[in-house]
Amino acid sequence: MKSDLKKWADDYTSLTNSDDTIAAMAKYYTCSFMFDMSDCKVIVEMHDGKVKHINTKPGPLDPYDFALRASAATWREFAQPVPRPMFHGIWSASFREDLKIEGNHLILMKNLRNFTVQFELLRKCGVPV
Amino acid sequence: MVKHSPVTGRYVTIDVDGKEYKVFYLHNGQGQPLICQHTAGAHNHQWRGLLEDDEITQHYNVIAYDLPRHGKSDPPHNTEWWKEEYKLTADHYCNFIVKLCDALELKEPIFMGSSFGGNVALQLALRRPDRFKAVIPVEAADHAPGFYLDWWRHPHANAAQVCASGVWDLMAPQSPDMDRWLTWHYYTQGSEAFKGDLYFYSVDHDLRDELRKIQGKKCPVIMMTGTYDYLTPPEATENTARQIKGGVYIEMEDIGHFPMSENYDVFRIYLKEALRIIRERTDG
Repeated sequence: MKSDLKKWADDYTSLTNSDDTIAAMAKYYTCSFMFDMSDCKVIVEMHDGKVKHINTKPGPLDPYDFALRASAATWREFAQPVPRPMFHGIWSASFREDLKIEGNHLILMKNLRNFTVQFELLRKCGVPV
Repeated sequence: MVKHSPVTGRYVTIDVDGKEYKVFYLHNGQGQPLICQHTAGAHNHQWRGLLEDDEITQHYNVIAYDLPRHGKSDPPHNTEWWKEEYKLTADHYCNFIVKLCDALELKEPIFMGSSFGGNVALQLALRRPDRFKAVIPVEAADHAPGFYLDWWRHPHANAAQVCASGVWDLMAPQSPDMDRWLTWHYYTQGSEAFKGDLYFYSVDHDLRDELRKIQGKKCPVIMMTGTYDYLTPPEATENTARQIKGGVYIEMEDIGHFPMSENYDVFRIYLKEALRIIRERTDG
């Protein structure tokens, strides 16, 4: 699991940092967020559209701006190349499935364009759960 | 070589409940009038595929207008609209559509709208079955709470991007990138009106106790919803159609809440079926 997690973090970093859609509007895309996948938690730290660091072993007091929390099964659905209805985004899954969006929602909204694009990159690299 | 579209645009000025609106509409085709309402916070380019569909415009006079405050239709010119929060009501919305149809001298038009346009189609079927030949509520339901959110015009965020990316998940992942991003683009342009539109969509529109009064025999109601619509999921539309006398429900596979705009090639398959049913039930 440990090596899988590191590989996932490397893949997600690489996909994000080479994504043309994010790069087209990358300046000021600076924030941090937790993916809480039940069996695994990570904190992604973004700076000007690039992954600065992915914390794969967050401690209880490690900070982040907002968090997405759902069951591992839901995260696996997010990561399908073509997700099923209601698992195809954070809005759909928060309205109809078990996704909870917590923390500072304003920061999510300020960065919604790029975050949405970056979230969908999970369809290419999968999830570590 | 220069390529001109057969679609033309025009303005018409109408008075609705004392408000003077100069309304912009796009038009192409001949025959049975088919008047189309865009979704909340968007404009009539969502119907670009239908407007240039030769097979349909050969027999249908397709008209797609911009609701006031959207696209090229200004807010009212005779009121200080900037001093009042915009909240679209069912009464004003219906009055506007009927006045517009009157001004364009449309005889027995078919009304089609998506999302908040679909919900108003249900309102029109209830209120004015005498004025419309049929309605096609797309992505609609008797009640659609939950989307009247402050985020759509929060002054501390980029409202254009919040609206555009906030509705991104309403589209299916299978829909073409170009069409999804064009829909995104339209949504960046309507952020000031979006929340006010959703006052109708999520607050003022509530037909849960009225569906059985709709005369679906006199004014056929053909409802269509995409499987990726999380806001008005297929079961909500199906449940609505079931309660309307003669109501029809068509489920659209692998498409979302903006079907005419996000994937017209898929949408037109279902639209042609809806039009066929209307012809069958209305003798033409």
